[in-house]
Amino acid sequence: MKHTQDLSEDVAEILLSEDLIRAKVAELGKRISADYAGRELTLVSVLKGSLPFMADLMRQIDLPLRIDLMEVSSYGGTATESSGLVRILKDLSAPIDGRDVLLVEDIIDTGLTLNYLLRYLRGKNPRSIKVCALLDKPARRLVEIPIDYVGFEIPDAFVVGYGLDFGEVYRNLRFVGVLRPEAYES
Amino acid sequence: MNEAGTPRDPVAGNTFAHASEAEFAHILDFYQVAWEYEPQVFPILWDLDGNVLESFAPDFFLPDLELFIELTTLQQRLVRKKNRKVRRLRELYPNIRIKLFYARDFRALMLKYGRSALVSELSGTLGQVGPRQSSESGPEESAAAGRSLVGRPLDLSTAPVGATVDARASHDRRSRGARRRAVRRAAAAYAPNSTAT
Repeated sequence: MKHTQDLSEDVAEILLSEDLIRAKVAELGKRISADYAGRELTLVSVLKGSLPFMADLMRQIDLPLRIDLMEVSSYGGTATESSGLVRILKDLSAPIDGRDVLLVEDIIDTGLTLNYLLRYLRGKNPRSIKVCALLDKPARRLVEIPIDYVGFEIPDAFVVGYGLDFGEVYRNLRFVGVLRPEAYES
Repeated sequence: MNEAGTPRDPVAGNTFAHASEAEFAHILDFYQVAWEYEPQVFPILWDLDGNVLESFAPDFFLPDLELFIELTTLQQRLVRKKNRKVRRLRELYPNIRIKLFYARDFRALMLKYGRSALVSELSGTLGQVGPRQSSESGPEESAAAGRSLVGRPLDLSTAPVGATVDARASHDRRSRGARRRAVRRAAAAYAPNSTAT
């Protein structure tokens, strides 16, 4: 993969500016605080892409809350051999039974990972479980899952930044941008 | 996944028409989404005698999600044909949920999973793994296809409301009213919530 030293040069268009994201995260935090008023919340973030969103969102929620982190393996099989099954690479560090859980995701596109995670987490008997996603890319959806809190609905483009990567790069961009095809085409 | 809930190798266990379909099956298996490959054939064109002239078998059915998926990574000419078939399917069977996965969608999926290098070998004619053993048929094929259809029971002697009939067919043996009533019964049996009248 080729990328320039100045990562922003690989971005064709800034889709969501830093200011826009900050305002939206504050708005989401306010809504979540109101909806869960009087309750204790557990935010579960899915590594690695959700990390910046989680860090910003939790500071916009005015509730007593716990945070936890999960990581699941991503598909990477080949056409000629079985690639196995999705695995939990990092599980929750504390039980969630009887707790209100909000799963914090960076982006929902196919919904395959989210579908798997929700099934897994429901098996741990939380009091409730909802989903908060910064970005929703409905054009790619395979599994229709209601998303309770959505930051932005985005067009069908390959986006990076604010946690989102391509080949583990671009996560540290402060905005969300559309990656130039030259950056991922050999 | 097989019926016992254990994973299977989709390539070994099924004969796919295209390498992209095998890759897609791998992805579904990986995320533990149950799937069936071409489990059902839908008639989409009949002649005036009710014989099936054309049918369509979507590539995948995801039973837990009640969703059919048709993959197409081939050239534009075939995409247009697929678009027409999917449009027709939606008209005739409004309760069926189907998603057409285009080459660009497949490419994006491969990119997402860091497998963009495989796109060219899994797409288009390069990705074809052998002669198509398709259960789909076109107008050029005989109406005998209608007698070997699989899937949910459907009265194949009549077309659902709105079905296109071949104007070249010789005649309809029944009265128009009787035919319409039979068509409504068949359509209602298949799509109970259909608003078609």
